[in-house]
Amino acid sequence: MFHIKFSMFSRTKSLENKIDLFHDKIIDAAMTFKKAIRVFLAEQRSDEYKKLSKQIKQIEHDADSLRRDIENNLYAQNLIPDLRADVLELVENIDKIINRFDEVAYKFYIERPDFPAEYHMRMIELCEQVSDCAENMAIASRAFFRDFSTVRDFSQKVYFIEHESDLTSGRMKEAIFDSDMPLANKLQLSSLISEVADIADIAEDCVDELLIFTIKRDI
Amino acid sequence: MDISYFIFLSSGLFLGWSLGANDAANVFGTAVGTKMVRFKTAAAIASLFVIIGAVFAGAGASRTLDELGSINTLPGAFMVALSAALAVYMMVNSSIPVSTTQAIVGSIVGWNFYSGHKTDMGILTQIISTWIICPILAGCIAISLYLLIKCFIKRSKIHLIRQDLYTRLGLIAACAFGAFALGANNIANVMGVFVESAPFHPITISRITFNSTQILFFIGGLAISSGIFTYSRKIIKTIGKGVMSMSPMIAWIVVISQSIVLFIFASQGLKTLLTQYNLPSLPLVPVSSSQAVIGAIIGIGIAKGGRGIHWEILGKIALGWITTPLISALICFISLFFLENVFNLVVYH
Repeated sequence: MFHIKFSMFSRTKSLENKIDLFHDKIIDAAMTFKKAIRVFLAEQRSDEYKKLSKQIKQIEHDADSLRRDIENNLYAQNLIPDLRADVLELVENIDKIINRFDEVAYKFYIERPDFPAEYHMRMIELCEQVSDCAENMAIASRAFFRDFSTVRDFSQKVYFIEHESDLTSGRMKEAIFDSDMPLANKLQLSSLISEVADIADIAEDCVDELLIFTIKRDI
Repeated sequence: MDISYFIFLSSGLFLGWSLGANDAANVFGTAVGTKMVRFKTAAAIASLFVIIGAVFAGAGASRTLDELGSINTLPGAFMVALSAALAVYMMVNSSIPVSTTQAIVGSIVGWNFYSGHKTDMGILTQIISTWIICPILAGCIAISLYLLIKCFIKRSKIHLIRQDLYTRLGLIAACAFGAFALGANNIANVMGVFVESAPFHPITISRITFNSTQILFFIGGLAISSGIFTYSRKIIKTIGKGVMSMSPMIAWIVVISQSIVLFIFASQGLKTLLTQYNLPSLPLVPVSSSQAVIGAIIGIGIAKGGRGIHWEILGKIALGWITTPLISALICFISLFFLENVFNLVVYH
């Protein structure tokens, strides 16, 4: 009996840790991405950038295996039957954000876009905004598991920052298309800016769903 | 021992079986319905604790029924139990939340009328008042627990996964406690009328002596257990739609509120303790677990702001308070006449 109880508690603890680790991954990915883009703008495809890009890939890989573990445990142990579908959806959504960080970092590596120096500050600002958005999304999601009364506060931050990132990306695109750059360059930079800004959009979509899940979470 | 005793006891056993099928769903239906506890686990725990409750704590509520009408012949007891079972069956078919207590009380009053025994109006009033108090009390307990737990979850910041584990363990404990309270409170409905004519000799097992009533209640407990295993799953599936919309935490509050109410109306120890400290105590009377569950659900509905409560169900409960004992008394009165005049059996002394 005591063994059964102990094993139940240890399994629960282990899953709690995995969920916490999974949330850590999105924060890691966001921070590394921010740093990687700064390095890219300064040094293009340098060894340092390659290292950071690999780091993001590794974070994405670890997040994938954590996601699978969490999903398996939730089903195998028949946990939180009433909220399981919501938690699975949430985990999938977070994973999408991490994947997008990896994809964008890899795209920079492959395409080697030539960002003129006058756009560097705005690009860094945009990357910081999308990273903040993802981080706040992670904090809101973590709060869903432990302290769901604060989910709303962090969600509000995500909405605010996402709007700011929309403005930044819009202003950047306008400036790029007003410049004398060849059209091919303009289109390439515009596409990359959209991809970066999309990360904030995905975080916003996650938060929309998270707020609905939170209403259900309240007893 | 006379085999005819068991033939007459069959109506009580049938009533026990239907109690197990119907009322056990109130005890662990929500736990199984919300997929938090497996049916087999819940049924095994409930069966064990229903028997323990019946054997060790069933005497109190049984005594009150005995004071209402002491059925002094076996054929009389047979017909009282059978009439109650038939009344329950009819009420279930009419989708009215039924109580075996109300049916058995009606049957006993019917027997009193037929045999010319005086019905103690004081006891009857006491019993009827508990029917009204039971859902109200369950509702009040559910409201208090709901607000308390909501506040606790907000402050304690327990992880969702850990909360799930605690709820699961809580539901298993509530299932055991609910089954114990059900056995203690409702065994009187099933076997109470047979106590007077119980032919068993005391048995001693490991220094614990079981008297004749306890042996009778053990048999009744077995009948309830058989109802749990053979039919309660179907009842849970039938009420499944309603249960599924309940969160596991709400399910726990409903079960525990209902169990506390049943326990309050069954525990001799609690009554003695309250009396010792000059606190008001409630009479030991069998009450309806179905109505306690409905009271608890409505209580939570009120605590959540009163939206989506089906108030018409309260009307159905009140209708059950009147129609169940009336139908049961009528069936009993007519059947006793046939038993005495057609089959020449002695139905009262």
